Amino acid sequence: MGDLLLCGDAVVRSADALLRANGGRAALLRMPAPAVAGNDAEQLGLTAPQFQDAELSPVLFQRAESATTLLVSASAVMAVVGSLKFNSAEVLFETAAGVVIDEVLYAIVSSVASVWDGEPYSYCLTLRAPDR
Amino acid sequence: MAVSRLEASGGEVQNAKDTFYELLRSRIAAGNPERTIVVRGQTRPGVLVEENELVTTATLPDCFRLRWTAAGVDTANALPLVALGCEILYETAGSAGNGGMDRGRALAAMDAELTAAINASPQFAAKQNYAGLASGGGVVAMNTNVWWGNVVFGAAVVKSDRVARTATVTVMSYEEAGEL
Repeated sequence: MGDLLLCGDAVVRSADALLRANGGRAALLRMPAPAVAGNDAEQLGLTAPQFQDAELSPVLFQRAESATTLLVSASAVMAVVGSLKFNSAEVLFETAAGVVIDEVLYAIVSSVASVWDGEPYSYCLTLRAPDR
Repeated sequence: MAVSRLEASGGEVQNAKDTFYELLRSRIAAGNPERTIVVRGQTRPGVLVEENELVTTATLPDCFRLRWTAAGVDTANALPLVALGCEILYETAGSAGNGGMDRGRALAAMDAELTAAINASPQFAAKQNYAGLASGGGVVAMNTNVWWGNVVFGAAVVKSDRVARTATVTVMSYEEAGEL
């Protein structure tokens, strides 16, 4: 058997292809605008920050009784990390107000990166549905 | 004595809640200026009110998180007397430089900061109405005070790599005309 040699970039592209082939879709990462320095009104809950939505695609959304998860392409995540000037995907997910899927805002409970050769190729987000 | 229960999240007692938060935040910042957090890109003193923030900031370590709980109103007086329960939650993993082995000391330092901020005299402040800030206005001083008791500490709880504690304090104020 020949040696399997995959660089990180190829794995990322493979992951994207698999996500698309398995019904990949788009989701919106809802990001709050930066806080206003020294703004008591925000800290007292009198005013809400502006929000902007960044598209994540391709993603796979799975909602089960035990857990709701979103498998996200690392390339999509890195594009948002770069455009919004975040240090890392982890900080991005911690800062986000949630993920909008079918017009429902899910809170992000945790994020786990799948890594090949030191480079993430997908992120699995555990989501929490809003209380109804 | 006529005592009724209020939902703590309602707007009826908001001025007392806001005044206590502002005062606690300024005292914590004065006691330890390095007790800061970064929320949505801005550095600020390490005190927040959970119900005023996005849920994503709910478990920030090394800061004091205020959670308003029960509220009771004694309507037997000329002015209704409101007693608000306030939980103050905090947790720390210690410092990375020490491998987290100083988390007990870090928690003790937060205990001391909280004690100094809440138990220090005076344990009252003039009640303020901050509602005007929403429309670019100013803060309006009210005619009555907000006052509070000493802080009561709960047991330390181990949460994975963090140690956490919940302290409680009761905050009281008279509700002025138009507040209820």
